Amino acid sequence: MKLRHWRRLSQILCFVLFLFLFIKTDYSGSNELPYAVNILFRIDPFLAASVSLAAKTLVSLMWPSLIFIGLTFIFGRFFCGWICPMGSLLDGVHRFIPQAHAANENRFRSFKFYLLVFLLIGALLGLPAAGYFDPFSILVRGLALSVYPALNVLATSFFTFTYQQMPEWINMLTEPAYAFLKKTVLPFQQNHHDLAFVSFFILLAIFILERLERRFFCRSICPVGAFYAIFARFSLMRGKAGTKCGKCRNCMTVCRMGAIDEERHISPLDCNLCLDCVDMCPGNKISFGFQQKNIPRPAFALSRRTFLSSLALGTALPFFLDTRTMAKSPDPYLVRPPGALPEKEFLGRCVRCGECMKVCIGNGLQPTFLSAGIEGLFSPRLHARTGYCEYNCTLCGQVCPTGALSELTLAQKHVTKIGNIIFDKNRCLPYAKGIPCIVCEEHCPTPDKAIQFREAQMLNDKAEKVWVKQPYVVDERCIGCGICEAKCPLPGASAVRVTSAGESRNPQNSLPAQSLPY
Amino acid sequence: MDRRNFLKQVLLWSAGISTSIPSFRIGSELLAAEKEAPLVSHATGKNYHELVARVLEPLGGIGKFVKSGDHVVIKPNMAWDRNPDQAANTHPLVVKALVEQSLDAGAKKIMVFDRTCNEQRRCYVNSGIQQAMESINDKRLAYYHPDKRKFVPVNIERGKAVNRLEIYRDALEADTYINVPVAKHHSLSKLTLGLKNSMGVLGGNRGNMHHNLGQKLADLATVISPKLTLIDATRILLRNGPQGGKLEDVKITDTLVASADPVACDAYATTLFDMQPDEIPSTVAAYKMGLGEMHLDRMQILQA
Repeated sequence: MKLRHWRRLSQILCFVLFLFLFIKTDYSGSNELPYAVNILFRIDPFLAASVSLAAKTLVSLMWPSLIFIGLTFIFGRFFCGWICPMGSLLDGVHRFIPQAHAANENRFRSFKFYLLVFLLIGALLGLPAAGYFDPFSILVRGLALSVYPALNVLATSFFTFTYQQMPEWINMLTEPAYAFLKKTVLPFQQNHHDLAFVSFFILLAIFILERLERRFFCRSICPVGAFYAIFARFSLMRGKAGTKCGKCRNCMTVCRMGAIDEERHISPLDCNLCLDCVDMCPGNKISFGFQQKNIPRPAFALSRRTFLSSLALGTALPFFLDTRTMAKSPDPYLVRPPGALPEKEFLGRCVRCGECMKVCIGNGLQPTFLSAGIEGLFSPRLHARTGYCEYNCTLCGQVCPTGALSELTLAQKHVTKIGNIIFDKNRCLPYAKGIPCIVCEEHCPTPDKAIQFREAQMLNDKAEKVWVKQPYVVDERCIGCGICEAKCPLPGASAVRVTSAGESRNPQNSLPAQSLPY
Repeated sequence: MDRRNFLKQVLLWSAGISTSIPSFRIGSELLAAEKEAPLVSHATGKNYHELVARVLEPLGGIGKFVKSGDHVVIKPNMAWDRNPDQAANTHPLVVKALVEQSLDAGAKKIMVFDRTCNEQRRCYVNSGIQQAMESINDKRLAYYHPDKRKFVPVNIERGKAVNRLEIYRDALEADTYINVPVAKHHSLSKLTLGLKNSMGVLGGNRGNMHHNLGQKLADLATVISPKLTLIDATRILLRNGPQGGKLEDVKITDTLVASADPVACDAYATTLFDMQPDEIPSTVAAYKMGLGEMHLDRMQILQA
């Protein structure tokens, strides 16, 4: 087997493992997840650095990333060529999205370093944007919020069509097939997400960029690649090509990273060890090994002015964030998942990976659009009308790779208040129309129900006097799970809404009944 | 009044009389009087497997309801993400015994499902019913989550408060539909018993049922009529229903109530909570529609 076949095998295995873990990011019959489904994010040293800078502490959850930094010192950017699921996908579709122009220009190659600098200094000073550029965040988010749910729509529409329109004998074939797919690859339920299209287009853009150059994202944008490149510069193993080997330039043409220059130097900053060049070289002049001390270490070739500019931009921008109104009065409907750290720390650590939204069995966690500011885009919030927070579930805290959502025990979860509810008496049926309802009270999950009711005499729409049960909330018991908002039978907006008031993580947001922090 | 006006008035009045359709109100009392007093059986004991067989004995045993070759739906209440001790769902051992005895009676296929209120998988697992079903190793038993495609719109011809509902196809098509509710407190309907448990076969926005719940449950009972209702009162939830969560609200009663008359079964089970059948709106509404008996003195109540 040729070297590149080993590499391809590794890519396929890692990608299958990635998909397996993605599908397993779900409830599986017990509240504890049996697999480390978030491992891809925890081995990412760029995210580890960004999150640690934002948290101003070493985030211990991210320790596996140290292994990959160590391995990069030895092997260079092997991760990008052998493991990265995004890279494997790009390699997989290369045949279908050919480069528009043949020339390898590498014009934007340095951009990723400027971006890295910007992101890291921004993370330190309070503008966390790592998740907008991290390839795994883009990939998992895109899959979880759009591609995977869309796949389910496709399957469901097809099998609904066969079920309703096709004769019995076809159903004998299609129904078992559908059952099998549901058991294996399809999600258990149809999820619906905010920003589904946006997430999809961001993912799609990475593929469209392949038109510019092969692995354009990896060469020019990927901050993980940039982070690895810094260590790869000192890597022990590196490639050596012949300088007097003739004119074929096969290696330059096949190199997916544009890592080989006119002198046939293989830059470890870019080389991802795909080993195509070794296999393709007609003279067998290219080899990778540890005894290559005579090879010069390449320069990063950064422009000092641009470098300082990105540093300055990353330093300056965070100070603008607090000039916005939301610094003074945050969106009251921005309800964060249980276990979320206080807002600034939460956003600093959240890498927008979408794992919590993928695992949320109530389909209640949705990506935030702009209500938490540009630095809050795609961070999770509870949108209780689409789904509520299940009382006995702690999955989101378990999958969070960075501790932005702390892992709660069930007992802790039961007393963690993520918000409080408000009844809209103008819409709530027993108040507004004298119609009996209290579906909210029925569903309220706290053992002593947070939603209680009083019996009151009302005039209904026929002007008859009727006794109805009118719900109200006991603030001390309500944890803000939002099942009442999700189940409220009114069409359109619910008559009961969760707001962030009283959330455990923010004493400034306390309710009148709660004791104040001073 | 002139002659012309007089004649006009006479014609109008007489026209009204001659075209009106004669109607005779037959009171439910009258209807009930013609019927034989329904049999309600109850039994108490710690061994739930044996208890299920015992409570069915006076009614003629499971064989009276499940015939060889029948497609059977057994509909427990497993709506909530609560464990068996918390008394929000039907006891898994009761469901298991009923399934096993129906299998022995020669059922061709047994379907067990519920449309849950909390997340489906959590309810199935934590109710203990999933494990109980998996322990029955029989291919005739199908234990599944409802499939959205299989809710069909049904006209409720006799409905007074609702005239159309989406109902799960398997429940409509079954030869034998057995209702296995758990008896518990509910703030709106006061108690949830057999009639309320039938809501688990409904699709769509079930919250709307709550507006005039008692009558709507009776309307539903005109199309979903179980051949057998077996009320699980092995432990009953006295407060904070229908999902509870506190063991202090649970009372162990080790009792089962069974009847072929769904209204009578509910009516008798009401007394376990020291309440009277006429306090439960759905019981009263169903009785008035002639769907069963609610007066305890017109039932044959047998202790098995």
